[in-house]
Amino acid sequence: MGPSILIAQNLSKVVPSAEGDLTILHELSLDLKQGDSLAIVGASGSGKSTLLGLLAGLDLPSAGTVTLAGNDLGSLDEDRRAQVRAEHVGFVFQSFQLLDSLSALENVMLPLELDDRPDAREHARSLLERVGLGQRLSHLPRQLSGGEQQRVAIARAFAADPAVLFADEPTGNLDSHTGERISDLLFELNQERGTTLVLVTHDERLAKRCRRLIHLEAGRLVTPLEP
Amino acid sequence: MAHLSFFRLLSLALRQLLRDARAGELRVLFFALVIAVTASTAIGYFGARLNGAMLLRATEFLGADLVLQGSSPANTAQINTGIDQGLEHARVVEFSSVIATDSGIQLSSIKATDNNYPLRGELRSAAEPYGTETPGKGPAPGEAWVESRLLAALNLKVGDSIDVGMKTLRMSRVLTYEPDRAGNFYSLTPRVLINLADLDATGVVQPGSRVTYRDLWRGAPAALVAYQEAIKPTLAAHQQLLNSRDGNRQIGGALGKAERYLNMASLVAVLLAGVAVALSASRFASRRFDASALLRCLGLSRRQALLLFSLQLAILGGIAAFSGALLGWLAQFGLFQLLKGLLPDEIPPGGIAPALAGIATGLVALAGFALPPLAALGRVPPLRVLRRDLLPVPPSSWLVYGAALFALGLIMWRLSLDLLLTFALLGGGLIAALLLGGLLLLGLRSLRRLLANAPLAWRLGLGQLLRHPLGAAGQSLAFGLILLAMALIALLRGELLDTWQNQLPKDAPNYFALNILPDDKGDFAHRLSEFSAQAAPLFPVIPGRLTHINGEAVQQIVSKDSTGDRAIQRDLSLTWAADLPQGNTLSAGQWWQANPPADALPGVSVEADLAASLKLKLGDHLTFSIGGMEREAQVSSLRTVNWDSFQPNFYMIFQPGTLQDLPTTYLTSFYLAPGHDQQLVALSRAFPAVTILQVDALLNQLRSILGQVTLAVEYVLLFVLAAGLTVLFAGLQATLDERIHQGALLRALGAGRSVLIKTRRIEFGLLGAASGLLAALGTELISLLLYHYAFDLKWSPHPWLLVLPLLGALLIGGAGVFGTRRALNASPLTVLREG
Repeated sequence: MGPSILIAQNLSKVVPSAEGDLTILHELSLDLKQGDSLAIVGASGSGKSTLLGLLAGLDLPSAGTVTLAGNDLGSLDEDRRAQVRAEHVGFVFQSFQLLDSLSALENVMLPLELDDRPDAREHARSLLERVGLGQRLSHLPRQLSGGEQQRVAIARAFAADPAVLFADEPTGNLDSHTGERISDLLFELNQERGTTLVLVTHDERLAKRCRRLIHLEAGRLVTPLEP
Repeated sequence: MAHLSFFRLLSLALRQLLRDARAGELRVLFFALVIAVTASTAIGYFGARLNGAMLLRATEFLGADLVLQGSSPANTAQINTGIDQGLEHARVVEFSSVIATDSGIQLSSIKATDNNYPLRGELRSAAEPYGTETPGKGPAPGEAWVESRLLAALNLKVGDSIDVGMKTLRMSRVLTYEPDRAGNFYSLTPRVLINLADLDATGVVQPGSRVTYRDLWRGAPAALVAYQEAIKPTLAAHQQLLNSRDGNRQIGGALGKAERYLNMASLVAVLLAGVAVALSASRFASRRFDASALLRCLGLSRRQALLLFSLQLAILGGIAAFSGALLGWLAQFGLFQLLKGLLPDEIPPGGIAPALAGIATGLVALAGFALPPLAALGRVPPLRVLRRDLLPVPPSSWLVYGAALFALGLIMWRLSLDLLLTFALLGGGLIAALLLGGLLLLGLRSLRRLLANAPLAWRLGLGQLLRHPLGAAGQSLAFGLILLAMALIALLRGELLDTWQNQLPKDAPNYFALNILPDDKGDFAHRLSEFSAQAAPLFPVIPGRLTHINGEAVQQIVSKDSTGDRAIQRDLSLTWAADLPQGNTLSAGQWWQANPPADALPGVSVEADLAASLKLKLGDHLTFSIGGMEREAQVSSLRTVNWDSFQPNFYMIFQPGTLQDLPTTYLTSFYLAPGHDQQLVALSRAFPAVTILQVDALLNQLRSILGQVTLAVEYVLLFVLAAGLTVLFAGLQATLDERIHQGALLRALGAGRSVLIKTRRIEFGLLGAASGLLAALGTELISLLLYHYAFDLKWSPHPWLLVLPLLGALLIGGAGVFGTRRALNASPLTVLREG
């Protein structure tokens, strides 16, 4: 295992509500090494997605720090955090989140272009071929099945060779057979490219394929993190 | 919950509305309604107040109850008939003449009145320009009252003297109001009022001069009727009886036309606003599906659920309609301000009716365009609380389009539009829209292929347009047409007269001289040659009216408002000539035969367009009334005439030797280089009866009137533009959720704010540029057709029209980026929440 790539220290998230402050995450710490894989499990409302958002720099914690690829996210503004995401982070979402107005190829090119990569087109094409969609490059998302859309999303997630890949219920919207194939793909690419994988899931089989697993309950860690 | 009273529902609706208003949900719907009501109220007030002004003046419109008008004085018997009936009598003589002073000359409209004038209404005057008005009788002998613009034009002040023909008069007061001038909106020349006692001394009115004589009558209705009955059989062809209704009808015709066009503009504004209302109402409805399902689960009946949401829109519509009515009332002042000087100074307030009609228009538009999408809310199945994918059965398209069409029909009926014209324009517009829309769509698609390798922001922006290609093409078209209308008007205003003037030869005549007396003919020509003016030949002129064609009265032959109709409503300038004048070409028949048979009718050569309008052919018998006498002639040839030559041109040219026995004056045109004002003053003093028209001055007047009118039209078009913008905003609002989501996703993937802004700018900039390009091409095409076919001018391209794509890009780009600014600030976290 490589050096630390994602470090969270005493992470808390408190949101104001009508009945006073509501603590969604409670002093949570973790340390992930390069190439590691982590599953975050828990019931609905346990704070899984909130944790994922904080780790990926989509949101800021109320207290504590997140260090992603050496960048202290709390000290950066939104545009700088976007820059960090563009350079180091990939995403896979439950509902695929492809841009409807762009073709499969252009969706995969997107993060490469945001990173100003001159070889965006070739690189995206080879990734789509890798996920088995070499024949569907110019198709728009609405012309693809759910499984195909998620494969495009995975290709997009790996396109910029991210240090960390965040996946939020990546198989949640797929039938079990397709879900199985998608998770195979996810882990194959994780192995091939040495990417750190952080995924939120309800799917126990998927969770068990990760090297580490944390269980959240009401914003607290109930399963201690294995070293 | 099931037994909610109406008032409970109303208060619930009100509270929900306040909540929604705070969230900015209903802004577009509100503004769309405000604009529809503002436009129709403003234009409604404009029409109503003008009509009010006409009605107010109905009795004083003629300065009398009844007027006998003619181009020669009424005969003694006609006058005595009125006096015998016990009617009051006043006399007015009107003509154009040149006012000369030491500093220059000015063509003016002279009115000589006796001491009884006016019989209805009052004259008003002031001691100095813009001084306090006082009512009273007209000027005493030896005095003249003038409009202040004459003082300005000749750099004079009250107390100075002016020469009217041979008579020198002292300007004693500034004329501010004449009752019988109310309808004379387009008077180009300033008024000079003099006493009838001075008329003969001026020497201006000579046999054959173009003069209007009016005998004004006032008295008891029975006596007036008796007088009318008695006088009718004695009327000569040049005479007519005018009562207030006749006077109003003429003005009403011109105003009615203007009002109809303005009403069309307001219909377009209402139509566009209706589209915006429909778009926002459908978003309003679809965002309330969950709420409606929940209310149904809680026991509300379909009817109550529907009523709750309808009440919300009704309250909103009411507030918008009242605000719009208020704004419209304010906006019409602007319209009157722009047309100041062309319209009567005093215009009565329009009352409450136009505001109520405007409010009704807004509410009808709301009902027609918003109810169909709203109806879906009553049909949301309560099961939707468990299964969010359950959608209400969409309303049948009959209901959707039927309600909108019904609402439009109602509004059109209210505006009392010319249905044929409206449908022709709407239909033509629709076909043009379909064709151009198809082209735009093709253009966008091919642009997509062309831009396959373009930078990300370009592909994202264009891709967004192509996500809703119909919407994009529709919006681009709507803005294109609005910009086109504005550009075309600006082009015609700014350029048409210039182009026409520039294409005239350098030495085209710039002065016309009218009313040259036969005795002065030789001297006048000599004087002109003295200051080396290049003059056209002197043509004899005899005013005469065409009364019968082949024995049939002309009124029965011509269609309303045609060239022929206008030609028979007034005296034509008849002339005779041995040779075909310069600039005339025979198109049918022959020029005079050397020796016509003695018993044949004299020949007359008719201008070809007039002949077509009067349905004349070679050999037709024409009857003219000339100075109270009848003359017959036979059409011997048709001519085309170059009207732009500024040479004297005539509709009717008689064979020489056929009109010589009648009182004649002469007419010519000449070119005089600028800077010869003193010669003109001398010329006008030497020949007091001669009227000198300065072409440049008339053109400048025309230009300023055209400027005012087009400004007013553009002002109204601004409402249409505003309505177009609400459609854009409504369209943006409908795609806002999608845009927020896209923005959040792009940010999650690492895009900075600048990429998002650039994408939006490209998307809306492209949309606006396409509209502008469409407008530029359309304007150019229409101007080409107009120049070529309507005005017969040489056309050259207008490079400045290329500003339009830029303008469109800025306008719509700016509005689009503004309308989607919420999507820029979307937190990237929302993609996780939605996932």
